[in-house]
Amino acid sequence: MRNSVANEIKKIAQNDKSLFVIAGDAGLGVWDDFNTSPQFLNPGVNEQLDVGFASGMALMGHKVIYYNIAPFVIMRPYEFVRNDICYQELPVILIGTGSGITYAPAGMTHYVVEDITLASTMPNLDIFSPADPIEAIECFKYAYKSNKPSYIRIAKNGEAIIHKENIDITKPLFIHKSSSKNILVLHGSIVDEISKILEIVDLNIVTVPMLTSDFDWEDFLTNFDKVFTYEEHFINGGFGTMLRDKCEKKIYKFGLKNEYIHAIGNRDYLRKHYEIDGTNIAKKMKEIINGSSSE
Amino acid sequence: MKQTVMNIRKNILHIANLALSPHIGSALSCSDILGVLYFKVLRLDDYENRDIFILSKAHSAMALYATLHEKGLLSKEDMEGYYQNGGTLPAHTDRLTNPYIEISAGSLGHGLPIATGMAHAIKLKNSGQKVFVLMGDGESQEGSIWEAAMLAPKLQLDNLVVMIDRNNLQGYGRADELLSYEPIDKKFEAFNWEVLRVDGHNHEAIEKAINSHTTKPKMIIFDTIKGKGVAFMEDKLVWHYYIVSDEVKHRALTHLNGESDEK
Repeated sequence: MRNSVANEIKKIAQNDKSLFVIAGDAGLGVWDDFNTSPQFLNPGVNEQLDVGFASGMALMGHKVIYYNIAPFVIMRPYEFVRNDICYQELPVILIGTGSGITYAPAGMTHYVVEDITLASTMPNLDIFSPADPIEAIECFKYAYKSNKPSYIRIAKNGEAIIHKENIDITKPLFIHKSSSKNILVLHGSIVDEISKILEIVDLNIVTVPMLTSDFDWEDFLTNFDKVFTYEEHFINGGFGTMLRDKCEKKIYKFGLKNEYIHAIGNRDYLRKHYEIDGTNIAKKMKEIINGSSSE
Repeated sequence: MKQTVMNIRKNILHIANLALSPHIGSALSCSDILGVLYFKVLRLDDYENRDIFILSKAHSAMALYATLHEKGLLSKEDMEGYYQNGGTLPAHTDRLTNPYIEISAGSLGHGLPIATGMAHAIKLKNSGQKVFVLMGDGESQEGSIWEAAMLAPKLQLDNLVVMIDRNNLQGYGRADELLSYEPIDKKFEAFNWEVLRVDGHNHEAIEKAINSHTTKPKMIIFDTIKGKGVAFMEDKLVWHYYIVSDEVKHRALTHLNGESDEK
């Protein structure tokens, strides 16, 4: 996803000289063919400065993108994002890579499993969590045209393409349709678990690229029986929590327990260890659907 | 200029009294600097290509409001709406309240990173605008200041002027005792800034320092006195917080008018 987004940025930059990229000493291999452009700056390792600098350029009319590993986009400089970008209502685009536990086994410092919680505290910040490169590009295009600040959390590179083009990222996108009355709502790269899920339970599956759109979830979910959310994020404070605030329907939430991650291993290992791999989630959903669990 | 700054100080006392707000000492400390900036330095006639002034020590917002009013850029009604219920201007600045209030500020350490981005944007478009930032001396304890201090010379931002209101009194004591930033001139020089140090209440010295030619980003240390102009407030920590009652305002005005020898 990150290369797809970066290529889109570079393409737009050719025609829009107001577009400016700040990469906080991150993106080796991503910006190599762009890092000598006057539209690019790597200021070094200094996240507060990166965000303040971005807002300063935006105040002077630039469309600014701040790119870094996600913890250093939304968590380390949180108050700068709040005061300088969001409170000042500047359309800066924040792009954080390594969503969830993508960078396992790097450790807790490099995971972002609470970024949606933090981002959702800022009332005008649009939050995007694309599941594939097509969604990622469309999310960026939306943010680029927007007059609001945006936060796009992406995984890394090499994710499978699950959509054709011409998608509407403001709505849930069906990636599996079923005659079942149940639905799984997910976002981000955890979509790569769905084949394991469908081996165990058949239900409708949608991705949600834009978490903050004004889509009418109440109306949409009326037609479904059990509604599940699934995300590589803390279970409390993620999209599942947001969805509970958007509709009256009971939402069964799946995600990481709100605990610090001390276990060591790659992402697949950690998903299994913390029981958020597709097989585990599918079994839990099946129990709920069959009425043998009320989790 | 002397009368202009006198009017600014009187209006600071006026709105501090209307609002019963703190930070009178901080506002009086930088009145001379703001007066010289707005009446001798800043080019504001062409709004799109105006010079930018950022009050990073935004707890001195009263000084900015009074100066903008003196300059004719803020109405009396708006100025008097400072700090009032349902009012017009907050205790710390909000850029959406007036087109000449450039940033929303109040949390220290934000102004210089923002100014660095603005100065770089101006260099890219080559419009010749300048960016001026006024910081508190205690504010230099913020790490973000030093992040920006490292970057500005690398970007050759000779259109960036940072000014420190060095009154040596922060929230709970002497800045150079709580956490010394000295020798701040040597530190900025080591980062490849042009550094000047002058009396922050001498109008000619202020103007000369700001206008001096440089090919580097410039940092000016203005030695100032907190509460300047009102003898019983001068260099007194409590006037970071004490409010200006009717009685205090009356006493303060007699000092400003030179009618009192009270200390």
